[in-house]
Amino acid sequence: MRSLLTAAGSAVVMCASLAASPLFAQTAPQTITVTSPTLVAGQTMPKQHTPDGRNDSPALSWSNVPAGTKEFIVICEDPEAGNPPPFVHWVIYKIPGSAKGLPEALPIDTATPMPAGLEGAVQGLNGFRRPVYRGPAPPPGNPHPYHFVVYALDTALAAPKAGVPAMGRAELLEAMKGHVLGQGELVAMYGRNRTQ
Amino acid sequence: MATNLKGTDVVVIGLGAAGGVAVLPLAQAGIDVIGLEAGGVVTRRDFAPDEIRNNVRGWPFLSSHKTNQEAPTFRATASAAAVRGGHPMMNAVGGTSMHYWAQHWRLNPWDFKVVSETKRRYGANRIPKGSTVEDWPFGYDEIEPYYDKIEYELGVSGQAGNINGTIDARGNPFEGPRKRAYPMPPLRWTAFHEKMAAAATRLGWHPFPGPAAINSRSYQNRSGCMYHGFCNTGGCHVEAKNSTAVTTIPRAQATGKLKVVTGATVTEINVDSQGLASGVTYVMNGETFFQPAKVVLVASFTYENSRLLLLSKSTAYPKGLSNNHGQVGRHYFSHHQGAPVTALFPFDIKAWYGLPAQGVAVDNFADDNFDHASYDFIGGCNLWAMSDRRPISASGMNTLGLAPNWGSQWKQFIRENADRTHSSYNQKTTLPYEDNFLDLDPTVKDPLGLPVIRITGEFKDNERKIAQFSQDKMEQWYREAGAIQVTRGPVGGAMGASTHAYGGTRMGDNPETNVVNRWGMSHEVPNLGVLGGSVMGTSGARNPTHTMQALAWRTADHIAKEWKNIVKG
Amino acid sequence: MDAPKIISRRALLRGVGVAGAAAVAAPAGLLVSTSDAGAAPAAAQTSAGAAAGRQVYQHLTASEAELLEAMVDRLIPADALGPGAKDAGVLTYIDRALGSALASSRAAYTAGLAALDRYASASRGQGFLALNARDRDSVLMDVESGTVTPGIFTGNSTQFFSMVLGHTRQGMFGDPFYGGNKDFIGWDLLRYPGVRTTVTAADQKSLEADQLKPNHRSAYDNEMFVKATARNDAHDQDHNGDGHGH
Repeated sequence: MRSLLTAAGSAVVMCASLAASPLFAQTAPQTITVTSPTLVAGQTMPKQHTPDGRNDSPALSWSNVPAGTKEFIVICEDPEAGNPPPFVHWVIYKIPGSAKGLPEALPIDTATPMPAGLEGAVQGLNGFRRPVYRGPAPPPGNPHPYHFVVYALDTALAAPKAGVPAMGRAELLEAMKGHVLGQGELVAMYGRNRTQ
Repeated sequence: MATNLKGTDVVVIGLGAAGGVAVLPLAQAGIDVIGLEAGGVVTRRDFAPDEIRNNVRGWPFLSSHKTNQEAPTFRATASAAAVRGGHPMMNAVGGTSMHYWAQHWRLNPWDFKVVSETKRRYGANRIPKGSTVEDWPFGYDEIEPYYDKIEYELGVSGQAGNINGTIDARGNPFEGPRKRAYPMPPLRWTAFHEKMAAAATRLGWHPFPGPAAINSRSYQNRSGCMYHGFCNTGGCHVEAKNSTAVTTIPRAQATGKLKVVTGATVTEINVDSQGLASGVTYVMNGETFFQPAKVVLVASFTYENSRLLLLSKSTAYPKGLSNNHGQVGRHYFSHHQGAPVTALFPFDIKAWYGLPAQGVAVDNFADDNFDHASYDFIGGCNLWAMSDRRPISASGMNTLGLAPNWGSQWKQFIRENADRTHSSYNQKTTLPYEDNFLDLDPTVKDPLGLPVIRITGEFKDNERKIAQFSQDKMEQWYREAGAIQVTRGPVGGAMGASTHAYGGTRMGDNPETNVVNRWGMSHEVPNLGVLGGSVMGTSGARNPTHTMQALAWRTADHIAKEWKNIVKG
Repeated sequence: MDAPKIISRRALLRGVGVAGAAAVAAPAGLLVSTSDAGAAPAAAQTSAGAAAGRQVYQHLTASEAELLEAMVDRLIPADALGPGAKDAGVLTYIDRALGSALASSRAAYTAGLAALDRYASASRGQGFLALNARDRDSVLMDVESGTVTPGIFTGNSTQFFSMVLGHTRQGMFGDPFYGGNKDFIGWDLLRYPGVRTTVTAADQKSLEADQLKPNHRSAYDNEMFVKATARNDAHDQDHNGDGHGH
């Protein structure tokens, strides 16, 4: 599934087929603008955000955020992988409503504190069952699209409980039902060469 | 060129749990017995509480063991390719009774009459499709005296629930009536077992301590259990685990009538011109011997029992010994004992010490102990909560999404939780089916060039439904006891080589569908007998050892009583 | 020349404090294997003849040992909770085992450690040893999940990772007789009060009251047991918890 892309230079993505897609929680019209200093919509993302490089999470910025936003959720997913799809590369929730984005290279362990402005944010379980960002590793061949989706909620989600795993994508989609004020996404590509 | 040895009365192939029992009543009856054992002698000095050796490197499964060299291949169905796994048993004087868990259960009366009881209560159409299950040729009452004999002769600890019809609420109210109490009280419980028992009681169930072939106190001059935590796949350093090596075999040797030969691999059972068994051929240290005998007892574990018969072809038995009716290898099944449920508790279980035979049982959902009108399966499950934890294994526990598998977060997690999970062990009714059988693998051979057994089998709908049901009940039990997270294992596919293996030489009155008669003697070869789980036609929600030992003693008694008729042919 | 040391039998069994590689005559009646107990042990860290602070290994090369030690140091790190795999002598365990029960894994270690280092350079810009802890962890996560750049590992990087993690746990939590779990670091981490041949009802109650003190004994401190002997056995499967009753 490919997104329809606007001209290069603008990072705004309009995804006409999103409305029909079962993979995205379409509970509100897209209003949020999502940009990144290193990701260009529709273009190949730099290696540093993949296991071919440092595998650091990319910085994201968002604007045009709905009024009354209490918390954000960001999910990075690949609709062309996973059984069933999508394969989830990153889940981060309870991002304070005051945040304007995420800096690059968020912590990869739960003991390291979140950067200033992101206090209370929780990295949930990705497709590897780990609470970290792990970037694209598609099978050699055609590039896959990686959707960095931002959701704005009108409520604060429950804080993690001791003895209960952090939420993954499925639990978050359930928890956000009826609370999504708006969403936006940035889609970047990545592919690996077939080995010689 | 085989060296001919001096003949004997009875040759027993295999001195494990079954063969090791039969030698005693035979010897006590004045019969000369030669016991041929492929393994050697292991003693309490070999049983260090060493997890790396026993459990990680699989010390009893060394490549030198005969079991490993003849490990079966297995495939789910006849259209799949067979692959080779390991072999879960060991060879030694005492066989796997040296390191098994030693849970020691009688079958319930229903297990002997699955067909007639199901027809009576639910109708014939409730017998699962494709099952070849038959009623046993006798009921619980016939075998009760032999259960009693094994319990007292070997030593089984437990709590009776039904003595001559009087129910004792401390025991299993569903068990078949027994003549008297166990010779020893049950193994002690930990605080966690008490907690689980209390939870079961709150749910309206009837928890009780499980029976074990392990001394709960001094018995027959052997020590009581030390609860040191290395009983699982470990030998007993104080001989409290009542393997045949420390009970029936030495007593048989003391009569002077039993000769034990170790390192002997039997390759064939020979017949004479009249189609009677004449003895066995075996290999030892590269040399071949022929041991003549008037009676041959095959007791080499389920896979090798069928294998030896299939390999012993002759003019009288072109398809293998005792296989003119094509029943050798049929009605095989691996016991459904998997599909565990694992629970995480918010407190320590204190399970570093103890043993798998120590625990709380619930039989409310076994066999036909509950009304199956609203279920679409027959039979049921035993629910069992035991003690079994060692450091390396505990360190590998599933982190349940709460921490990664390594690193500092993992260290914190494992320090807190290594003693906080518990996994259930649920034995379930398993039936024989037309599609599940043993035969000789067409390509894979052992080092002597003989084909190994091929298992063709998968768990059918009935057993998978019981598995699902058992997981529901177990989860209910764990949560009632305070579990905060519960996960389930898969409900079962292909049947691999199992420690609980049944069938292949089934016992029954009908020679068209069974290999041995009600006494364990071959329908076709009057002086050939078979011992072990291979004669059992149903499993019940129990492991087979107690029942196969009771049957082995019974077969030996029969041979002694009917000697003249049996050897005459 | 140093005055002769009095070596306790326990120390002898663990191969500790014995200088040089010469075989030491075992006391009569004691069966000691040549490999697992380290009767011909590598020089201990402070003994003469070894590079300062460096342990000498019997099977791993010096560079393999460095890499492997750096890896196990992240798998079970030393931290606020206490010492980790490095201090517990996991390298000693693995090294000895590579000469016996785990000999069939020797080639996998050589190939895997080299690939680990190549992958670190290719993706993070420096060899594994030059990376900081965070980047080492990031590399190991990718090796674990099998998402590493194709062509660097022969076959599955996940298999290599699982092998090392499994052996690390054996070395951390196994009986010290095998060279790891030094000073019972591993058992203390798990709060396992130790191997004992008798556990009375009173001991169990004491355990339940959190009052059972770790006894810090090896199974082989008990003279009645025959020592496990070295096996060149490819049968390195974890049979633990396989759901099979007996």
